[in-house]
Amino acid sequence: MTIHVYAGLKDYFQPEFELTEEVGNIDQLMACLLAINDQAAKLLAACRFAVAEGFIDSTYKFKAHEIVIVVPPSSGG
Amino acid sequence: MRSSSSFHPVAGGKGGGEASAGVVDRPIDLVGLLAAGHHPAAGAVVLFSGEVRESNRGRSVAYLEYEAHVLLAEKMIGEILVDAKAKWGLSVAIAQHRIGRVEIGETAVVVITASPHRGEAYAANRHIIDRIKHEAPIWKCEHYQDGTKEWGNNCNCHAVTGDTAKHIYE
Repeated sequence: MTIHVYAGLKDYFQPEFELTEEVGNIDQLMACLLAINDQAAKLLAACRFAVAEGFIDSTYKFKAHEIVIVVPPSSGG
Repeated sequence: MRSSSSFHPVAGGKGGGEASAGVVDRPIDLVGLLAAGHHPAAGAVVLFSGEVRESNRGRSVAYLEYEAHVLLAEKMIGEILVDAKAKWGLSVAIAQHRIGRVEIGETAVVVITASPHRGEAYAANRHIIDRIKHEAPIWKCEHYQDGTKEWGNNCNCHAVTGDTAKHIYE
């Protein structure tokens, strides 16, 4: 699984990195991310998640080798 | 995926007319976009330009830098425009957001709405920019005159709604 992070999350993670663990859903992904850097907990709690097709929710089951986008709260405009 | 210069029409929406959403990495052409906002059915055209100001929360701003997930942002802005066209019966809905470095006084985002009467054009325009600011995957980094920087002014609606996908609009 490839993870892409944006904006303030780049203070805690590389912009793109691979997860070798088996990650089935958002809850498991969140646990992996916190294991990498628990300093990001507050920001991660406010993030949405997306795959190529668009935003996903907690019921989504990740596919093998999926690219997952971790989307911090918006601050456009 | 982090940079683009696209601007494309959006399909769908009731009532016909045009909708165009874009994320661009070059200066926004306000005059050119306004020209695209005219429509024979529209007696009102409203243009909102969100511009970079020289201070924020008491700090002197040097410039802003915007980042986006371009594909998702354009898709989401397109959906926002289609929703607004249907709700207010707009003749034209256009939104364009800039990414990359944006200097003081430059336009970071523009929303243009056209409708038969001004009430709908104003209301739809406000709705569109509010939703873009809260929902579109676009982020600003404020670079200050003292050399520091901060990713800032994030939407924090989730603190109230308990759901990162639910927002509160002004």
